[in-house]
Amino acid sequence: MFTKMPDPARAFRRSSVLFRTALHHSGLLQIAVLALFWMLGEAVVRLAHVPLPGGIIGMAVVLALLASGWIRPIAVRRGASWLIAEMLLFFVPAVMAVLDHHEFVGLLGLKIVAVILVGTVLVMGGTALTVDLCYRWRARREARHAGA
Amino acid sequence: MPALDAVEATLFWSAVTIGCYLVARFIARRWRFWWTSPLLLTPVMVGLVAVSLNAGYAEYIRSTHWLVLMLGPATVAFAIPIYEQRAVIRRHWPVLLLGVLVGSSIAMVAAFFMASWLGLSSTVQLSLMPRSTSTPFAMAVSDDIGGLPDLTAVFVILTGVCGAALGELLLKVMPLRSSLARGALFGMGAHGAGVAKAHQIGGEEGSIAGLVMVLAGLFNVMMAPVVAFLLR
Repeated sequence: MFTKMPDPARAFRRSSVLFRTALHHSGLLQIAVLALFWMLGEAVVRLAHVPLPGGIIGMAVVLALLASGWIRPIAVRRGASWLIAEMLLFFVPAVMAVLDHHEFVGLLGLKIVAVILVGTVLVMGGTALTVDLCYRWRARREARHAGA
Repeated sequence: MPALDAVEATLFWSAVTIGCYLVARFIARRWRFWWTSPLLLTPVMVGLVAVSLNAGYAEYIRSTHWLVLMLGPATVAFAIPIYEQRAVIRRHWPVLLLGVLVGSSIAMVAAFFMASWLGLSSTVQLSLMPRSTSTPFAMAVSDDIGGLPDLTAVFVILTGVCGAALGELLLKVMPLRSSLARGALFGMGAHGAGVAKAHQIGGEEGSIAGLVMVLAGLFNVMMAPVVAFLLR
């Protein structure tokens, strides 16, 4: 505790401890940290011309840091939960922008909505059935192997 | 309505949007029906305010664009639930990958044939095909296969609005035993809007949906050149 340490090192350690304490207590700060990783992702996309969204790059970086133990999930969990829970809010202006497309009013709009509705039901049903059947098949096989 | 400067407009329209969202969220928690989704109710309420104030969409979108940008940090936030469910994911990734493969194929094929059957123009048809993935992915794929990225962005949002509501209805009629299938349904069918819905159903469903959404996006971007080749 009282060992002699050069001042800058001590100041750095103190500030990093302070930052960590603040991070664990403030959801807002956690959101800011997540936003920083998103900006990092956007910068990578711009500079390296990667054909991926910046958010996905940021997510990959955070996943790598979590897996290697550099970040503990608890440090950003509250901010992350908040962002995900209120995600529908972020879609609202995008939905409003859709309403500005008057060219889809009428028969064309109805046809497009029909394609989207039927298509989405097929995609959801097909995906869920595939995953559920595979899951049951694997579970049955494992049960049989365990029983034998 | 008196002319507002940029800062005032941003504050005003952001407050209106967030206020309407909070009311819609309250209604959705009180009465749980597919049509009480905040994704349907909030735009209706904001629209009523905008119409009653005689305000244009351009000003509204400019003032609330920062909210759409928050989808970026929200995507980064998926890392935490995905990491926390890593045991489930490590165990079941082949099943999830198969689900993404089947779902993406159905999405493209169904849009292609239904659009040609209904006599939609080929531009609309090609723009409809990648709509099940999240916006940035879908726009990239649309560009690759010869659609209009802007048009695709519109279809993606419509898919999210419809999908979040349809998913809840489908869950009631489909006998799905695993949270894996419930999560995949939302992540594959309704991208980010579906993931948000899945998180309301359960933590495991939400993480699976988030992962499936990301996988679907990556898979579609990788498959776009193949689809473009097949369409020629």
